[in-house]
Amino acid sequence: MASDKRASRLAAIGVVAMLLFGAMGMRMWFLQVVDSPALEQKVQSNKTRTQKLLPERGRIFDRFGRIMADNEKMLTVTLAWEALRDQADRLELFGRLATILQTTVTDLETRYGGPLGSDGKPKGTKYSPLLPLPIKEDVGEDTAMYLLERSEDFPGIDVTTEWKRAYPFAPVAAHIVGYLGAITKNDSAQYLDQGYNLNERVGQFGVEKVYERYLRGTPGYVKFEVDSRGAILQILERVEPIPGNDLQLSVDLNYQQFAEQALETQLRLRRFVETCQAQDAKRKSVKPQFPDCQNLKAPAGSVVMMNYSTGEVIALASYPTFDNRWFNSGISGDKFSEIFPKTDDPDKSLLVNRAIQGQYNLGSSFKPFVAFAALDTGQLPGGSEYRYLDQGEYTLVSIDRETCQMIKCIYRNALCGGGNYACRYGKVNVEDALAVSSDTFFYKIGEEIFSERGGQPILQEEVRKFGFGSFTGIDLPFESAGRVPDKESKKKLVESGVLMEGESIKYLVGDNVQLSVGQGLLAATPLQLAQAYGTLANGGDVNRPLIALALLEPGTPNSTQVGVADLTQATVALNLGTKDTIRSLNIPPEVLDPIIRGLTRVITGPGVFYDSYHSTTGERLFASYPYEDLPLAGKTGTAQGAASLPWNDSSAFGAFSLDLNQPYVVTAYLEKSGYGSKAAAPVVKCMFMAAVGAATMAEVLPANPLDITATVAAPERSLPSNRCLGGAAYGGRD
Amino acid sequence: MVFPILNPRPQSRLGNIRSGPGDPRRNIDWTMLAPVVLLGVIGAFAIYSATFWKVDGDPYWFAVRQVTFLIVSAVALVVVMAFDYQLLRERAYFLYGCSVIGLVMVLSVGALKGGARLSFDFGPISFQPAEFAKPAVLVALAAYFSESREEDMSYSKFIGGLVLVGIPTALIIVQPDLGSAFVLIVGSLCILVMAGARLRYLVLISVLTVATVAAAVVAGIVDRYQLKRITAFVNQNSSDKDLERYVFQVRYAKRAVSTGGWFGKGYLKAPLTNGKFIPVQQSDFIFSAIAEQFGMIGGGVVLGLFGLLLFRIWRVGHLSKDLFGAYICAGIFGVILWHVFQNIGMTMGIMPVTGVPLPFVSYGGSSLLSFAIMIGLVESIHMRRMR
Repeated sequence: MASDKRASRLAAIGVVAMLLFGAMGMRMWFLQVVDSPALEQKVQSNKTRTQKLLPERGRIFDRFGRIMADNEKMLTVTLAWEALRDQADRLELFGRLATILQTTVTDLETRYGGPLGSDGKPKGTKYSPLLPLPIKEDVGEDTAMYLLERSEDFPGIDVTTEWKRAYPFAPVAAHIVGYLGAITKNDSAQYLDQGYNLNERVGQFGVEKVYERYLRGTPGYVKFEVDSRGAILQILERVEPIPGNDLQLSVDLNYQQFAEQALETQLRLRRFVETCQAQDAKRKSVKPQFPDCQNLKAPAGSVVMMNYSTGEVIALASYPTFDNRWFNSGISGDKFSEIFPKTDDPDKSLLVNRAIQGQYNLGSSFKPFVAFAALDTGQLPGGSEYRYLDQGEYTLVSIDRETCQMIKCIYRNALCGGGNYACRYGKVNVEDALAVSSDTFFYKIGEEIFSERGGQPILQEEVRKFGFGSFTGIDLPFESAGRVPDKESKKKLVESGVLMEGESIKYLVGDNVQLSVGQGLLAATPLQLAQAYGTLANGGDVNRPLIALALLEPGTPNSTQVGVADLTQATVALNLGTKDTIRSLNIPPEVLDPIIRGLTRVITGPGVFYDSYHSTTGERLFASYPYEDLPLAGKTGTAQGAASLPWNDSSAFGAFSLDLNQPYVVTAYLEKSGYGSKAAAPVVKCMFMAAVGAATMAEVLPANPLDITATVAAPERSLPSNRCLGGAAYGGRD
Repeated sequence: MVFPILNPRPQSRLGNIRSGPGDPRRNIDWTMLAPVVLLGVIGAFAIYSATFWKVDGDPYWFAVRQVTFLIVSAVALVVVMAFDYQLLRERAYFLYGCSVIGLVMVLSVGALKGGARLSFDFGPISFQPAEFAKPAVLVALAAYFSESREEDMSYSKFIGGLVLVGIPTALIIVQPDLGSAFVLIVGSLCILVMAGARLRYLVLISVLTVATVAAAVVAGIVDRYQLKRITAFVNQNSSDKDLERYVFQVRYAKRAVSTGGWFGKGYLKAPLTNGKFIPVQQSDFIFSAIAEQFGMIGGGVVLGLFGLLLFRIWRVGHLSKDLFGAYICAGIFGVILWHVFQNIGMTMGIMPVTGVPLPFVSYGGSSLLSFAIMIGLVESIHMRRMR
């Protein structure tokens, strides 16, 4: 080397080289040692793709195997992508398939390459390169067989099976069965955790929602090895899906259909009834700001029929109703919001199961439980022998005169004599009081059980034993617990602004008096009422209402009858129909018997004689009921609505059989439909008439296909004969 | 002697009387040839692993061609080292002229491939003049600067050198092949440094390079895909559909290197290399195949072999008695160093992707032949250093 200078320049170049090598070495270290484990995992998942195979959803049967929810097989013809790469071959194949599948080559080409862009070139397919290209959906079984048998003529052809939910008997029992819907944003995290794809449809209402995890089944999958462009190299693993369990309900679809028909028929009839507000001595309306008379609105209602020995629900109707096939009918969003309008009017809400979600005042139909409280706690001196002189009104005694200037101290009975004066029933015992529905008798209980025991919630504790104020635990979603008003709940209501301003935050004796006749702040569902009446009927067992009897292994064969599965060949996977007694009250006879006697007299009479004869509330209606065939006991209830106007009165009725071989309890609640004895009681009567064969109950038949041109959520339905709704004069057997 | 251990004294036994210690045949640097041979062998195996699925019915198509290139290149290497490099001093400008003509011709009649004219196509083989321009330009530059024995470079001398490098570089940029252009610039920079260029000259040449590239981009000569590669490098996690190809190429290459870990997945057992994930893996991304299959150990061996090779070239430059030889060594040192750094760097995501092959390892005849010629030159210098 010529000079030291050059040597040092060469050394500098060497140093630069060493720096570059150092950089490479460092980078290699980071990539291969530090980052390696994390990346390794990422690459593994990149190299394989998994395609989920969705299982067939479990079917839903009624108690006799009628298929309430089914799956329609949808066959889709597919072609393997590999068979389509060559354009000439592809067009030739498409040409032959187009005629067989009744489609066009243009459509098939669009599926293959996507729609043509502005440059005349296809813009790319929307179908997954991982799955065979679907070329025609919903083909007939014969077409599918034809193609599969000639698969050598149609290279790459295959037929895949998909499932579409069907409700053969819709709209019967729509509120019970429910429907499937897309996974909402709020639920997405929860469903993702359970291994769902976000494009799957899940139960959103009814038993479809509650039993989602059993009905869904277990998805299978195919694992592919893929290259960087996602082209399949080979199938690594295939696990077949396991179909979901079938679900057998306790519902009897015949009764269910009958209940829905009776409810709807009665509501429509009630809309013809005109009702007028009370008039003062000068024949002027008491509330002149409102019209004198108005037709009843009768917008909504519900019916519950239960077996009180086991808790099995036989029918559970809610009106207004809907056809649950709308939810997978493929209609547009606009059409959907036309049929299911968003509304704040509770009268019009469709997607509410009023039998378990309605929060109602029960009116006098709540009195049997107040009577129980009085007898059970010894509130009445002499028990069932105690008599009280009912003079038509009751004045609170625990409040001094001065306070009574400011708050309501006088409570009256319902009106008699054409609405001119409060009814007077004379000396009544607890049995009479229930039979003729004496309010004053219960007002007195309501006051004294509160004021004589230091304001303790004795009445509340007693009625809660029957299940009021807590969830019944039925296996349907969105149940309401209702409310038995007490100090805490009233405070909450006032603070949250539900109650009017000026309402005292304290729970007062007046609140308890209102509660004693099922008014005021009481809230209960028709199902709770049925559960409580059932408890009286069976002697004290509070049974959890059951709507599902069993989960069955998939694959129950169909019977010879259309739309019915052969349950004799079913295998039970999980028994859900075990009687579930929440608590036993073991009501002593001296408490139970007078109540039952009173309720029996509601149906059969006689009433009481004071001034004149006062019939019991159900006597005239049930005169046409064949009592000997199935003895009943029951109780009417009329809940006063807003401003105590008669057209706002809601109607309640509950009744149970006295024959343990036919242990039915039925409740009906008809909103804004008038007196309990006029609106709800006939519906209940019809149910029992049907049970004894005195009314025509039509056999439920599979429905016609959904009419997607319709503009209402469900078609109008009515009883085959509405004679059972009538009273003594015309309401006998069909 | 700076490194006496690495430079053993010639044997001086009595028996050896046929030639003196200065005989070129007795001064072959085997330590420099060993890594070259090993890298060629490793490359052939790596190419097989990355290409066996590419040609239907012939898994060895690429490998056989590469081995053929290796044999041809080995012959070329031996031929070049057999000749005295001093013969080139007289013919340097002639060879330089031939290269420039070749570069001009390829622009007009070269085969168009991916928007660039890089090669002449002769049926089964193609020929890239840019590869052969590298040794020619270096030799010409070395000859030019070794004419003067001044310690420091005069300004006029520098301008002459600049023109000498500038013409072929500009032609290569126009092809466009930015990767090869940079390689030539780095090689030339090494010679300039050795020849005593002042710092401001080096700054000037850097500025000129950037300006030329910028001008080429603005003029639309550098086409969109080269720009995209650079954009993809700046934003390696881009989800831009337009860049996807380039982002994915590097991402998969990095993953391949990374998942190799310490010991690699084993030969022919690497999921990414054997799963068709990395485009043109046999040439540009051959290092990813080695790193995935043989891990940090395998990659380290390859880096080590390059280190040894470069050190031996550096050493020849150090030992060379005349400036011509020393300058050639410096230039070739720069060219190979930059090839290695650029290629392995882009595989690991620390350099933008340019189509620069990994010397002796990547698939490709032209580059292999060109590197063989360069090593032959260095050997020739080493063999004749004792005169």
